[in-house]
Amino acid sequence: MTTTLPHLTFGGILRSEWIKLRSLRSTFWCYSILVFLTVGLGLLFAATFSGMGEMDYDTQQTFAVQAATLSLGMSQLVVCVLGALVITGEYGTGMIRSTLTAVPTRLPALAAKALVFAAVTFVISLVSIVLTMLISAPLLAGNGIEVDLGSAAVWLPLVGAAGYLALIGVLAFSLGTIIRHSAGGIAAVLGLILVVPTIVSVFAVITRAEWVANAQNFLPSNAGARMYAYVSDAAAAVDPMGLNATPLEPWQGALVVVAWVAALLVLAGVLLKRRDA
Amino acid sequence: MIEAVGLSKHYGAKKAVDDISFSVKPGAVTGFLGPNGAGKSTTMRMIVGLDRPSAGTVTVNGKPYAEHKAPLREVGALLDAKAVHTGRSAVNHLLAIGATHGIGRKRVDEVIALTGLQSVARKRVGGFSLGMGQRLGLAVALLGDPRTLVLDEPVNGLDPEGVIWVRTLARHLASEGRTVLLSSHLMSEMAQTADHIIVLGRGRVVADASVAEILAKASGNAVTVRTPDAERFASLLTSPEVTVTATEPGLLVVAGLPAARIGELAAAERVVLHELTPVAGNLESAYLQLTQDDVEYRAGGAPEGAAQ
Repeated sequence: MTTTLPHLTFGGILRSEWIKLRSLRSTFWCYSILVFLTVGLGLLFAATFSGMGEMDYDTQQTFAVQAATLSLGMSQLVVCVLGALVITGEYGTGMIRSTLTAVPTRLPALAAKALVFAAVTFVISLVSIVLTMLISAPLLAGNGIEVDLGSAAVWLPLVGAAGYLALIGVLAFSLGTIIRHSAGGIAAVLGLILVVPTIVSVFAVITRAEWVANAQNFLPSNAGARMYAYVSDAAAAVDPMGLNATPLEPWQGALVVVAWVAALLVLAGVLLKRRDA
Repeated sequence: MIEAVGLSKHYGAKKAVDDISFSVKPGAVTGFLGPNGAGKSTTMRMIVGLDRPSAGTVTVNGKPYAEHKAPLREVGALLDAKAVHTGRSAVNHLLAIGATHGIGRKRVDEVIALTGLQSVARKRVGGFSLGMGQRLGLAVALLGDPRTLVLDEPVNGLDPEGVIWVRTLARHLASEGRTVLLSSHLMSEMAQTADHIIVLGRGRVVADASVAEILAKASGNAVTVRTPDAERFASLLTSPEVTVTATEPGLLVVAGLPAARIGELAAAERVVLHELTPVAGNLESAYLQLTQDDVEYRAGGAPEGAAQ
């Protein structure tokens, strides 16, 4: 009898967060921009790519992966804005008090929000990236690039790209939870993925210190870039200054991003639990 | 049943709620009354765990709110009509909150009908009037069909029809055996709704009694007396049991003597009276008496004690 009466469940909280995410216009717009950027930039690249003469197999696959993931520099910003807004929008409007009254233990609400947002971002990113790859493959074929759609090495970075977008979105979400303010949250995450790498790389060039160059690899955006790089072009992509920094393997890059997200999400959880709403 | 024991909330050196204990019983409407800044809202926020007490505990039906398996079925709270994402429609807001407890479309439609929100349920909440927002807040509070209701200023922003509706609803919910705690800074509002009143002033419980008891205390039966000979008459009337307050030249407010006795004294002393009006003991004056020392934000103007 008691089991049939409504009560708090994690499944219910997930469902609640799904309803919240899909019932806001900002969600629709951000994901629309994400899909448009991914497909649009990818096709633009594929259609306008002018051959560089004879290319070896790995170079061809590198360009193919780049076409499908070309938008990431920009689409990660869109995902970060949405990730921060998912929680700061609740603080800004006061909705957070309704959320935390319904889920007074708080942490399940945070977990459900992060999970739903990460899952939706992953699926939409993956679908649009794969779609871009499938449409651009015939276009690239006309420009001297034969995409090996049967190769796992080509598909893995595409999955990695979607995974990176989901993770960087949750990182933005965590910062939003910590800062509790839309403008502040967005500024913090954009600072972390745009400004900090620039400062560190300038520092690396000035000092020519190897440890600074290595440290760059552990910033979330740089480590994340390893998740969607075609493996054989690894060294070139990560060490543009020729500082002999050791590049991370894609799986190591993924672990570094996961560590960033985990640390910030734990901090967000501790603060959410402790602070007055 | 809500029980607070030694409940305190400090913000730095400021004591918003200072060691209060009270209980709110089922089957009755309890009014939470006090001037702005008395600690009503903070106390209500601590009941549902939004604010963490600096000291003391508050439980609902025997447990802290957060420890219940179905919090929304224990307490329906309206703390702030603004606790809504302005970009979402009313129906989606209710569906999202209900979903946490597996409360579905059917109950959402019920509370929308109950609160009269049918015509705006699909509109975005950002465009709602204060009254509509208040109705949506009440709809959220009722969503879980809760045993306890905690409503902070529920009639704020409602039209007269809405005010009567909330009053009737509160009385109805209490008659079903539920616990109803509602706050107001208006005594007149409480007088018409509550059975029991807890008065807060500066974070402390100033009074905790039934409406009848508070009325009885207030009926020190003040009488207004208008006379050209106010000064002399005031000194004649004043005694340890009687307080006389001169509110303006020629006008006295006398507490502690019935009007008939004042009239007899005036006749005996040959004092001319222009007016002799018993002021019915009302909750408003009782409330003012109870909280006069506890008003935190006093209107500017007369310095303290000048009127005495």
